[in-house]
Amino acid sequence: MQGKKSSSHYNRQDAVFKYLLISASLLVVGLFAALFLMLIRGSLPSILGNGLGFLTGTTWDPINGIYGALPAILTTIVTSLLAVGIAIPVALGIAIFFTEYAPVKAKFPLTVFIDLLAAIPSVIFGIWGLWIIAPLIKTYVQQPLVTSIGFIPIFGGPAYGISLSLASLILAIMVIPIIASLAIELLSRTPITLKEGMISLGATKWESVMRVGLPFARMGVIAAVMLGLGRALGETMAITMVIGNSYMWPFANPSIFAPATSITSKIASEFYEATSAIYAGSLIELALTLLIITLATNVAFRYIINKTNKEAKR
Amino acid sequence: MDNCTYEKLDISGLDAWFGDKQALKGVSLRIKPKTVTAVIGPSGCGKSTFIRCINRMHELTPGNRVSGVVLLDGVDIYKSVDSMDVRRKVGMVFQKPNPFPNMSISDNVVAGLKLIGAASKKELEAVAEENLKAVGLWKEVENDLKKSGASLSGGQQQRLCIARALAMRPEIILMDEPTSALDPASTAKIEDLVKTLKAETTVIIITHNVQQAARISDMTAFFYLGELIEYGETRTIFESPKSPLTERYITGRFG
Amino acid sequence: MRMVSRKNKDRVARWLSLAITVLAIIPLLWIICSVVVNGISAINLEFITGVPAPYGESGGGIANAIFGTLIINAMASIFGIPVGILTGMYLSEYATKGKFSSAIRTSVESFSGVPSIIFGIFAFTIIVTNVRHYTALAAAFALGIMMIPIVAKATEESMRVVSDDMREAAIALGVPKWVRTVKIVLGVARGGVITGSLLAFARISGETAPLLFTALFSFYWPTGIDQPMATLQVLIYNFALSGYQERVLQAWGASLLLVMLVVAINIVVKIVTRQKYKEGI
Repeated sequence: MQGKKSSSHYNRQDAVFKYLLISASLLVVGLFAALFLMLIRGSLPSILGNGLGFLTGTTWDPINGIYGALPAILTTIVTSLLAVGIAIPVALGIAIFFTEYAPVKAKFPLTVFIDLLAAIPSVIFGIWGLWIIAPLIKTYVQQPLVTSIGFIPIFGGPAYGISLSLASLILAIMVIPIIASLAIELLSRTPITLKEGMISLGATKWESVMRVGLPFARMGVIAAVMLGLGRALGETMAITMVIGNSYMWPFANPSIFAPATSITSKIASEFYEATSAIYAGSLIELALTLLIITLATNVAFRYIINKTNKEAKR
Repeated sequence: MDNCTYEKLDISGLDAWFGDKQALKGVSLRIKPKTVTAVIGPSGCGKSTFIRCINRMHELTPGNRVSGVVLLDGVDIYKSVDSMDVRRKVGMVFQKPNPFPNMSISDNVVAGLKLIGAASKKELEAVAEENLKAVGLWKEVENDLKKSGASLSGGQQQRLCIARALAMRPEIILMDEPTSALDPASTAKIEDLVKTLKAETTVIIITHNVQQAARISDMTAFFYLGELIEYGETRTIFESPKSPLTERYITGRFG
Repeated sequence: MRMVSRKNKDRVARWLSLAITVLAIIPLLWIICSVVVNGISAINLEFITGVPAPYGESGGGIANAIFGTLIINAMASIFGIPVGILTGMYLSEYATKGKFSSAIRTSVESFSGVPSIIFGIFAFTIIVTNVRHYTALAAAFALGIMMIPIVAKATEESMRVVSDDMREAAIALGVPKWVRTVKIVLGVARGGVITGSLLAFARISGETAPLLFTALFSFYWPTGIDQPMATLQVLIYNFALSGYQERVLQAWGASLLLVMLVVAINIVVKIVTRQKYKEGI
């Protein structure tokens, strides 16, 4: 009954298992490499055919073979930055409320809300944004703004509803829960000793958060922002449905109430029609550009975090 | 005459290192079968390292190195045998009870057999009952065998761990301060249990409590700074120790 | 005087952060209400059992899309969950500080940052261009890859926090390493692995972009996993933009079903993990 098999049998089992794990992990690395390779290969017709004009051109005219992606690239970057810009203060506000002021009984339901908001599929944000929010925003927000400050070009009319600003708003709502839930985690981890130190000095909760909590969580908040930014950059469906899919912004009409096209919305809406090699290649090059922007953002953030960590340690 | 008999455990010139630090220096002793040997000494004297060399768990520490000869029933456990085989023959009970929380009480007892599919369901049930009885847990848990192993009290968990080690029918059971995390009542139960164990197997037990060593062991080994200072019958060690160091430790002057 | 203004700042902060929180919850409630209000009228027997009617005609259902979503998700899970668990196991129990392990970690980390449409394009270039038609298998491939980092991270983290006491006990019993890893460490960690897998499943249920160039869409019952297949997500996208009011209404109905699926999974996970906190496992 002592285990009828010899150890060499078990050692062989162990070896097989280890190789199984290694194969799975190799598959993951391989897929990542393949992803890059396939994107580059797919983009080649465009890289060779369009050259640098791809990145600098402002016209996209497949019929005449002109593929300039600059408006799309700018739109992607601007909507993402706007979205994160709106989301950060809101997310921090939620996190501060949760950790400092919320009654205990409200905390679990709050986390449920936040997680649900994060879980709502993007296409649902799209249909809601398109059919419910766009008309309302157009009439009650954009139109009045156009009437009052429309002389400023970026607030100029007409108010389209479906526009860059609506896309940024919807994106912001999608990004808020990502940053908020991380910020809550981080603020909750403020060492109790530091908090008690503040309280014993008679500090208010606000002061405690501002002087101790947030500074302590700074690194993590930066990481959270990075995650939110990544999400915004890569978002496809919600944006495609509310952004208007037009090259009007920014060169024809710089108003944020004008329709625009992001990298993702362009790919999503035109991929089926891309019948020629250079058309398809251009869309794939757009995807490659997006991938590079996303990964570069990640790398940049990580660099900032590492550098700040090193300085903090001195 | 002594030189000719096979001892259960025959250790000669055992050295062990953690990286640069030498934890054991030239340890040699022979342990007879079906005895309880207490290993005593101040913190950091190498007691844990010593017993972890006997079931080759010292190998898990980064930067470890071992040299010397350890013969279990005449077989060199470092040369001729795979470490897995050694551990199946040498059981271990740890300072902090560590039953598997994702397994039931009965499954915990037979874990060593069940996990490698070494016995049938009926056999496992019989083994579980036999060993739970051997550690005095059967009456307390016979109606709750399916409950998680972690649902028991500390003292019960430790007895469960002893049953788990016993179920493998080991040649030796190593115990690393098995009662230091327990209350006095549980400690007493386990001390009584240890005394019964030597009918089946050989016990080597580390304890920082010299009175415990005096109570339950036949032989005692006193370690200091990685060296085996003295080893002999417990009564002798306690009544007339050969080394002044031993005497000072036992009388509580240090450690 | 200064104390009064400090107290005021605190009070303002309290109410402002409350207001912000309420403001942020409004979209969630609004979305759920919109989906329920608009979607519920679309749901009837035909809706759940029939296939879509052509644009412009009335009636029809979304049964093929419901079926399609489930099939594709199942296929994706068969691929993504095991690979994710195996990778997570490797990172937790077998990884060293060497280059190979770093490469795996980098790949897993980076994968979670890749926009989902790119996985769709990847699957398109690898599978669809080779078989020369749209296929649900490609969609399962793309979604499966998306599941891998979620499951791998959940597995690695749950296994990493398993106390070394457990590993030592298993080692001392002389069980082989693979038994220790799978039956003991993974056994103790299985709650985290299960919730990670559930969350990954919910996540891909919400993804549409990777489906666009792989499974495409279909107005018919699935004829095979190597063919195009309808899914709830793509149906919502197509119908919502179609301009035909009845299709838009059906898009809302499909949205209701999709939201129910995703919300149900997330609530289950939330409740289960909350219990874990209470039991202190």
